[in-house]
Amino acid sequence: MKNLSVALFTLLSLTSISVKAQTADEVIDKHIEAMGGKDKLATLKSVRMETNLSVQGMDIPVVITRVHNVGQRVDISAMGMDGYIINTTTNGWSYMPFMGQSAAEAMPEDQVKESIDGLDIQGSFLNYKDKGHTVTLVGKEDVDGTECFKLKLVTKSGKERTYFVDPKNYYILRAISKATVNGQEMEVTQNFGDYKKTEDGYVFANTIGGAFGQGDMTVTKIEVNKTIDEKVFKPAN
Amino acid sequence: MRKVLFSSLMAVIASSVYSQTTINSSTFGMMEARQLGPGTMSGRISAIDGVNADGKTIYIGTAGGGIWKTTNGGASFKSVFDKYCQSIGALTIDQKSPKTIYAGTGESNMRNSVSIGNGLYKSTDGGDNWVKLGLDSTEHIARIAIDPKNSNTIHVAAPGPLWSDSKHRGLYKSQDGGKTWDKILYISDKAGCAEVVIDPQNPEVVYASTWEFRRLPYLFNSGGSGSGMYKSTDAGKTWKELTNGLPAKPFGRIAFALAPSAPNNIVAIVESVETGLYISSDGGDSWKKQSAVTNVVARPFYFSTLMIDPKDPKRVYRPAYTFSFSVDGGYSFSDATDEGGWLHSDMHALWINPINTNQLYLGTDGGVYISLDRGGTWIFLQNLPVGQFYHVAVDNKVPYNIMGGLQDNGSWIAPSAAPGGIGNANWMALNGGDGFWVQPDPIDPEIVYAESQGGNVNRINVKSAKAIGIKPQQVAGDEKLRWNWNTPIVFGAAGKNNLYMGAQYLYKTTDQGRNWTRISPDLTTNDKKKQEQENSGGLSADNTSAENHCTIFTIAESPLDENQIWVGTDDGNLQYTTDGGKNWTNVARNYPACGIPAQTWVSSIEPSRFDKNTVYVSFENHMYGDHKTYVARSSDMGKTWTLFTSNEFTGFAHKIKEDLVNKNLLFIGTEMGLFASVDAGATWFRMKNKIPEYALVRDIQIQPRTNDLLLATHGRGIIVVDDISPMRRLSMDVASKEVHLFSNDPVKLTMGDFGGAGFPSTNGWVSGNPVPIPPIQYYLKDRVSTGKIVIEVYDKDGKLVQSIPGSNRKGINKVYWNLRSKPPKTASGGTKVDYGGFIAPMVMPGDYTVKLKVGDKEYTSPITLLHNDANKDFSMADRELQYKTGMNIYNLHEALAKTVEDISSRQKMLKENIAKVKSAKVKKLLQEYNDQLETLRAECLATKQKSLFADEERLRERITEVYASICMQEAAPSNLQLQRIGLLTTEVSNAEQTNANLTTKYYKKVKDALIKEGLLKEEKPELGNQKGK
Repeated sequence: MKNLSVALFTLLSLTSISVKAQTADEVIDKHIEAMGGKDKLATLKSVRMETNLSVQGMDIPVVITRVHNVGQRVDISAMGMDGYIINTTTNGWSYMPFMGQSAAEAMPEDQVKESIDGLDIQGSFLNYKDKGHTVTLVGKEDVDGTECFKLKLVTKSGKERTYFVDPKNYYILRAISKATVNGQEMEVTQNFGDYKKTEDGYVFANTIGGAFGQGDMTVTKIEVNKTIDEKVFKPAN
Repeated sequence: MRKVLFSSLMAVIASSVYSQTTINSSTFGMMEARQLGPGTMSGRISAIDGVNADGKTIYIGTAGGGIWKTTNGGASFKSVFDKYCQSIGALTIDQKSPKTIYAGTGESNMRNSVSIGNGLYKSTDGGDNWVKLGLDSTEHIARIAIDPKNSNTIHVAAPGPLWSDSKHRGLYKSQDGGKTWDKILYISDKAGCAEVVIDPQNPEVVYASTWEFRRLPYLFNSGGSGSGMYKSTDAGKTWKELTNGLPAKPFGRIAFALAPSAPNNIVAIVESVETGLYISSDGGDSWKKQSAVTNVVARPFYFSTLMIDPKDPKRVYRPAYTFSFSVDGGYSFSDATDEGGWLHSDMHALWINPINTNQLYLGTDGGVYISLDRGGTWIFLQNLPVGQFYHVAVDNKVPYNIMGGLQDNGSWIAPSAAPGGIGNANWMALNGGDGFWVQPDPIDPEIVYAESQGGNVNRINVKSAKAIGIKPQQVAGDEKLRWNWNTPIVFGAAGKNNLYMGAQYLYKTTDQGRNWTRISPDLTTNDKKKQEQENSGGLSADNTSAENHCTIFTIAESPLDENQIWVGTDDGNLQYTTDGGKNWTNVARNYPACGIPAQTWVSSIEPSRFDKNTVYVSFENHMYGDHKTYVARSSDMGKTWTLFTSNEFTGFAHKIKEDLVNKNLLFIGTEMGLFASVDAGATWFRMKNKIPEYALVRDIQIQPRTNDLLLATHGRGIIVVDDISPMRRLSMDVASKEVHLFSNDPVKLTMGDFGGAGFPSTNGWVSGNPVPIPPIQYYLKDRVSTGKIVIEVYDKDGKLVQSIPGSNRKGINKVYWNLRSKPPKTASGGTKVDYGGFIAPMVMPGDYTVKLKVGDKEYTSPITLLHNDANKDFSMADRELQYKTGMNIYNLHEALAKTVEDISSRQKMLKENIAKVKSAKVKKLLQEYNDQLETLRAECLATKQKSLFADEERLRERITEVYASICMQEAAPSNLQLQRIGLLTTEVSNAEQTNANLTTKYYKKVKDALIKEGLLKEEKPELGNQKGK
């Protein structure tokens, strides 16, 4: 009996040590594995997501179109009108008729620059060292009751993003991005959930919280690596 | 065999990891606190530092509210230290690498109520993340100085513990960025280091002042042989005491400053029998007395800030009782003017922007002020919610009122909800001085009682703020009355008329303080050695009632019997009467048996509302250097005691609170956190739930109607956790389930209590209102990472009324349903925003079913919606008419949407074919049909004006105008609204008919032409989505 408790104690200590001994790279490797694997992620070239932003039964369709390191377009349909936000590596526009805009308006240069890192649709963690980013494992932190790994990523261009990774499945549960808008530091928090693998083996979060301030965005359809005409990254009006 | 044993062990471990259910803060997931602040009076600021290079990134250290950061000069702040000790003594930015910040915890303004730190912290990313570097036992840190030429060299001045002898004090130095530390100046276990300054031009030269000081619960002493002024010229290896020209020792606290532009010039305020400002122009070798104006010599232990302008060596700043500045090197001083507004007294921190020395940030007992004219006038920053409440109380009005008193900021009252949320302007000042207990009169709604220090209690009319002093007086046969700094004023929990106050005697009034009766003998130890407050202060007399001792500190009447009253004293007596004060029993001798030191300060008493013989008591012994959490329960009127223990506990205890409904639910507030137990004190957990984890929780109340938990924090204002009923209902059975959908109490249909006029707040503190509609709540044992979560609501016929995405977090989740169905589909394709598609009528009273879908599993629970009879302006008949009318217009919107959709689809087809047809005649026909349809479409909805500033009102917009006004207000539709609906119905029908007529006129012609042109096959004659009528 004594031996049993010694063995149990030792095992428990080993378990706790192995939890503590995680490094940033170990967490990142496991995360990449959870997202489909390194090789798989490297083949991700484009993604088109149809989503629904639901606010008290009012459904706002949002379509997100992304081409790896080329551009991103978000189309929003609400109140019988269509608007969009476009970011590319060099330009950006927004057309939000619901907010009174009557034509596409150019994005200020600093905001365009802020968005460039986000065009890496394979995820900043994949080959992060080659990309010139640095990652630190800050420690563990409670996010909504889940004790998460807290990773701080500083991109090559100096942008800071903090990721909270669920140790149970290595999915990102929350991301906090820091951006400088009009000279003022701002934080954007996004929560992710309902991770699912697509038929072709890519893993995506199917709910995104805090995407547009309020409400959860629910993904209804994902298309991966379909040819996307880059004309969509130019404003149409 | 071994293999079997090993694998079964692994299975045990695995199952214990995954199936173990513990109830803790995360169990209550979305039951999150709202921080009410306010910013109106803010709170004590203890440290300020700014980034020299940008002049707008500034960190504010507070006495009990952690660290706040602004990146815009103060337009907005963010708290960046919520997971750590909230008492800040020093903050220093490494200006060579300004994302590196050092924070010393434990304020060093050594007043009676000063809190205690737990070490030095460092951030290297602008405050996002912190690591503790050590110096855990110093308790108080006054200054951190970084070598301007070598960022790895750091000096920390630690006065050290205030209430006990300790070796953990003195001047500490690190040469490796804080990893290791050497104590380089140490005097004794009674004298620490109060100030350190490194010569900015020659970092080998370091100046430090040492300070001998001590507090006892009943006395303060500043001064002794350990106080001195020191200089090192070899970076702290050796020290020379500076005396030439300084007054005769002993000294007390010494504040000093170097002129950054000419560092041989030093000014020092030396507390001594000849306290004054001394100056040196030779690096401290010789000194001469310069001045001793009132503000220079004011309370040296509390006002230790002195600063010289970064560019002008003659300009000396002395923020203290008032704000003084000298332009002649400290010979004469002027004060800030009142032009532009009042400046709060009692100042502890100053930052001068070295790039623009006109710009000053000043920390006071009442928040942060900015000056743009070198201290002549000041602007108050109203967005720092760091008030130091001592107590909180609530009344039972709708909405209920919250009231309490604060350190140096009087007593205030505010409603728990207000239009636009509770903002700074909703707080009304009730009483002056330092504020402590405020009690609403349970019977007279216009009266509250509030006090200033030393028992100066007033009866106050809440409408006019007019006050009548009602403090009990010494009469023949009494000893001089001894009132605690924080004198208890308490209403009876059973006898609603009974108002109690305690000096060393207990007093009772039943007529609002017009007549008092003394109902006890001296209930304290009456130890005369502890009553020599007139000698308090040390070198500078300081006797402000803060050290009054042998007094009653807490009073509690049993909720089950108004004759059973408990009293606790600051010198450790715990007494009760069961006959309204005729006889008293002291049970102080009983509690040490459970591990509480004898004669420990009784900080709160909570007689149980479920059992007359049960009482909970919190004790605190920090004034004897003991910070342990002492809270105990007795079930036999104090004869025997059980001490609550937990590894979670931190900080000495201020308050124990028993829940009003569930006797197993208990809360403890300490100097470092809020703790809860759901199993009658067997186990405890730290409440996080958006509460700063080490908040100084001085008082806890529960509002009986709303079940809100209210915290008086000493540095983070008032914090409210709305509706803690999930804590009452969450049994271990429920907590062990993977998913649990809670039952719903009947919900009264409401559109909320307030309207929404006015602008959003600018530069103030606003906390949102509690939600007016109770949420649908469910529990998830673990976060759901895969699988959608949806809440659906069905009516009694099983028809889906509403569908709302649910959250997936561990613990309690809340989903807010606005009690409306899904909005109508409205006509689309216009150029203007139309809100009709966002609005749905509120559903009718009745029985509904809530269905929770978690992945492929479903859980259901009934919910009953009731008409709100309390709203006299909105009868059930009104509601019925409103719903009926609302649904009529809902249908009108959908009918119009259908017509417009048909028009649009026809137009789409016509436009596609116009380009393709060859015959000019057919092209013309198609164009004509399209133009006719466009004319009709342009009557149905706005199609021309895109500008935000050009109204274009068409049928859709007209429908929405009436629809919104009917659905979004709690009123029956007016006669003209009803009549207008008739008109709009006709218009929608007309549009439908016109479309049908156009179909009749053009449909066959167009179809035949397109078939002829080969653009349409005969067997598929439909032109649009809908065949014309």
